[in-house]
Amino acid sequence: MQIRDYLIRRLMVLPILLIGVSIIVFTLTRIGGSPIGIYLSHEMTPEEVEQLEERYGLNEPLPVQYLAWAGGVLSGDLGWSGVAVAPVTAVFGDKLTATMELATAAGIVAVTLGITLGTFAGSRRDRLPDHLTRVFSVSGSSMPDFWFAILLLIVFWVYLGWFPIGRSDPAIWASIAHPTGLYTVDSLMAGSWQALRDAIWHLILPAMTLGLATTAIITRMMRSSLVEELNEDYVDAARAKGLPERLVLKRHARRNALIPTVTVIGLSFGFLLQGTVVVEILYQWPGMGRWLADAVLRGDQATIMAYVLFTSVLFLTVNLAVDIIYAYLDRRVVLGS
Amino acid sequence: MAEVAQHPPVVTTPVSGPLAVRLRRLGEIVRQVLRNPVTVIGLVIIVLMFTMALLAPVITTPNEPNPYQMPRDWSALNEPPGTPGHPLGTTAHGGDVLYGIIWGSRTSLRLSLIVVGVTVTIGTIVGSLAGYLGGKVDEFLMRVVDIFLAIPELIFALAIAAMLGPSFTNIILALAVVYWVKYARIIRGQIMHIKQNDYVDSARVIGDSKFHIYAKDVLPNSFTPVMVQATMDMGSIVLVGATLSFIGLAEAGLAEWGVLVSEGQVGISTGRWWASTFPGLMIFLWALAFNLVGDGLRDVLDPRTESR
Amino acid sequence: MTATAFADTTSGRSGVGLVASVQDLSIHFQTKTGMLHAVDEVSFDIRDGETLGLVGETGCGKSVTARAFMRLVATPPGVYAGGRIDFWSSETRAAGGGPVNLLTIPEDEMLGIRGNRIAMIFQDPGKALNPALSIGDQLAEVFYQHRSDELLDPLGPGTPAVVRRAARQEATRVEKILLKVPPLRSQANRVKAAVDDRVAAALADTQIPNPGKIMDRYPHELSAGMKQRVLIAQALACDPDLLIADEPTTALDVTVQARILELIAELLDRHDTSVLYISHDLALVRGMCDRVAVMYAGRIVEIGLTEEVFSDPLHPYTRGLMNAVPSSAHRRGALTAIIGSVPELIDPEPSCRFNTRCPYAAGVCRRLDPRFLRHTLEHGVVCHAHDDPAALAARPDEMPSFARVDDAR
Repeated sequence: MQIRDYLIRRLMVLPILLIGVSIIVFTLTRIGGSPIGIYLSHEMTPEEVEQLEERYGLNEPLPVQYLAWAGGVLSGDLGWSGVAVAPVTAVFGDKLTATMELATAAGIVAVTLGITLGTFAGSRRDRLPDHLTRVFSVSGSSMPDFWFAILLLIVFWVYLGWFPIGRSDPAIWASIAHPTGLYTVDSLMAGSWQALRDAIWHLILPAMTLGLATTAIITRMMRSSLVEELNEDYVDAARAKGLPERLVLKRHARRNALIPTVTVIGLSFGFLLQGTVVVEILYQWPGMGRWLADAVLRGDQATIMAYVLFTSVLFLTVNLAVDIIYAYLDRRVVLGS
Repeated sequence: MAEVAQHPPVVTTPVSGPLAVRLRRLGEIVRQVLRNPVTVIGLVIIVLMFTMALLAPVITTPNEPNPYQMPRDWSALNEPPGTPGHPLGTTAHGGDVLYGIIWGSRTSLRLSLIVVGVTVTIGTIVGSLAGYLGGKVDEFLMRVVDIFLAIPELIFALAIAAMLGPSFTNIILALAVVYWVKYARIIRGQIMHIKQNDYVDSARVIGDSKFHIYAKDVLPNSFTPVMVQATMDMGSIVLVGATLSFIGLAEAGLAEWGVLVSEGQVGISTGRWWASTFPGLMIFLWALAFNLVGDGLRDVLDPRTESR
Repeated sequence: MTATAFADTTSGRSGVGLVASVQDLSIHFQTKTGMLHAVDEVSFDIRDGETLGLVGETGCGKSVTARAFMRLVATPPGVYAGGRIDFWSSETRAAGGGPVNLLTIPEDEMLGIRGNRIAMIFQDPGKALNPALSIGDQLAEVFYQHRSDELLDPLGPGTPAVVRRAARQEATRVEKILLKVPPLRSQANRVKAAVDDRVAAALADTQIPNPGKIMDRYPHELSAGMKQRVLIAQALACDPDLLIADEPTTALDVTVQARILELIAELLDRHDTSVLYISHDLALVRGMCDRVAVMYAGRIVEIGLTEEVFSDPLHPYTRGLMNAVPSSAHRRGALTAIIGSVPELIDPEPSCRFNTRCPYAAGVCRRLDPRFLRHTLEHGVVCHAHDDPAALAARPDEMPSFARVDDAR
């Protein structure tokens, strides 16, 4: 099977990329001053510092240091987070679920809205809706997300008071159990409408902010690939069968236009991840992004590196998955390669 | 026939040949770009921004000793727009918002020009090496490119800048490290593509040296997509740069839009909206303008990949 | 511009049934520099059961004319600038009704005609099939669209509305899920089975081996010839009154071409379908068609019975075309190409469009539109040289003079 060959080839590149990323991350830890910086204080004598360095293997040659570090990472030792005052891995879980909930919400908004808007514009090419959509997508991808967040906060939080900030109302949060850590899922499992409403209410503004740029990108891609598909012969052939325009668009053109859009969805996953940093700062969302921002300001190397490693692995995995879906959806690709 | 009507012919001939021909083609491109009103709007914004940046020392009284540092007027904290002497208001630390906007444009211009200049150079060198030498070198360099692309841009730049310590110079450095890969990819792709084209072969037959072919045919042809990408990056670098300084990776009090938004952000809960709204608008307009022009350029230079 | 108003030789004759009649059809395209007259006051009839060939070079407007029958010219940039296409469907004829004008009937009525009473075979079978849908699914659409009543018949009058809607391809996403649930599933499956039977029969009709297997295949898994068979099966699925074949073999290998042509000829014979056969290949048209119309730069310049046109071509362009076709009668090197190229068709002035390439062109050809002249009962031409030879510098041996025949209309 050709799909399998393609997959194997893709999978074989993955470790190389992962090793490469880990080397970059390791290099970064060595350019930013001593990796044991957070343990050092002014009262320490040079001998004490040297002892510490020896204890952490910093007097060994770099490749040995790298191997030791990489071995640690593989065995789940990502170091000590000075910000969280705990091992990185210990705090990771909670922060991750909070961020994932936010990113998923934003992703759902972006994908549905992007595909809908793109279809709407692409099937009305060069007419008013198309032009308006273009204005939206260009503005959306030029918008600094921190500024957009501030505008939303000024309007909806400060002046109108419609939406809260943070992730939850602490009293409501405490009223239900949290088996998954995803507030929406937990509230559903607890059957509490009050908690669900609270969860969604807190999600709306951050998800909108985070999803804006991604929505713009998906809209743009969907629009242009739909325009391309609508120019294909098979669309006319479908019309020639007597199919109503609704079916021609839905079953034929849009379905195929979705195929290239899937790739963009994968790539824009990176946008979602990096966007969480700013969004979580502004909406006081207790996730990985805010944690990273704190770590950056306090020079918490271990946290920053763990974050970079983790995002890259996630990003690579998602894109691999997208490639697989793409190969499966577009039978022409497999045949062509 | 229907196809002819839908896609009116656009000049797509490669840029090469005598200087006069090239200049004429450049003139044609400029004319076509200017035909699109949206692109013209973008160009006007860019011209205004550049003018503001260049005239900054003239239209404001530069802060001593470092004009890129916000002047502090401790007698006018949190003044709303319209206050005499502070037309756009002041921040909680007595920073004049208008001063920050004007000198911020200068900071942005510096940032984007340096980063684009450096990354295009590095990207061209790496991409040319990979494309021209091929084989193992190509394989290796392209893997490196892939690895760089595996880390989301902002996160990568954030990590580098954080490791180097908070300063605007380090932001510039971090962005340069992150942004060169795209150009290397473009240049290499173009060289691979052009290598297979007939006119390079014919140049070979005529007996041109390898470097001559490179300088005369390959580089000018790779130029088109690089120009589109560079235009887009002029905008997005300022966007990402401002994000990094918003997070806190630039010096406090720097006359930079992201820093200003961050300084103004503390006031929004008490209704002081202006200190972050105005500089944020500038970032948006800057990015928007370059996006519009980049789009327009792409439409003209490469009509096949429709950007809209 | 009655000068080009072109009356087909059959008009007014009784006893010959028509399937379609095109009158003064004009289709223009909006371009940046002006209106492009892609089809310019074209008139012709398609008779019951005949195969009419429409020949001309690329860009002469023959494909646009063909698409107009399906009302598939994209508007904008296309504009239906004038004329009509009357169509007599077997259904309305059986009910004693007259023709409908395909250019003006409402869209839902047009949907009932497309793929049902008029069908089309496209030029490139590789592009005319949706790459992401299986062959069976694509063929099934035709039956769902036009034969849903017959599909539902065996299920009886008590069939739930959801199943009916599904058979008419109107089911919503929620309803589709409902149809997967037991009480409705069996009925939905019966409809599906009925469709599958019809799809398999249609495929078998085009001599596709193993139709049941082919149904589950995707277009890229089939050869070009096989794909064209599928498209032919799809076109003939509802037994149309008129088939529009737009260069159906151009994109195929020569060996496959011959077999597909044989198949088309055999099927047409069996289905008794009228055909508008678009081609640039004269030899092919000669073998396939009863009558032939020659098109040049948006206009028909000559029309007649195939043997008449081929044995006695009247228009200089037709003659040029025939000289440009290699045949055993030509000596090596005697093949002549028509010099020059097709004129700009953007906002053209009155003139014979061929004047830029015509060896006999004179002043009148550049000033006036030529008109239709009847040479024999079936054979007509649009050319100044045949209208008033004295006005031009035509050599008498090349240009036989004709009695002037007034417009039949």
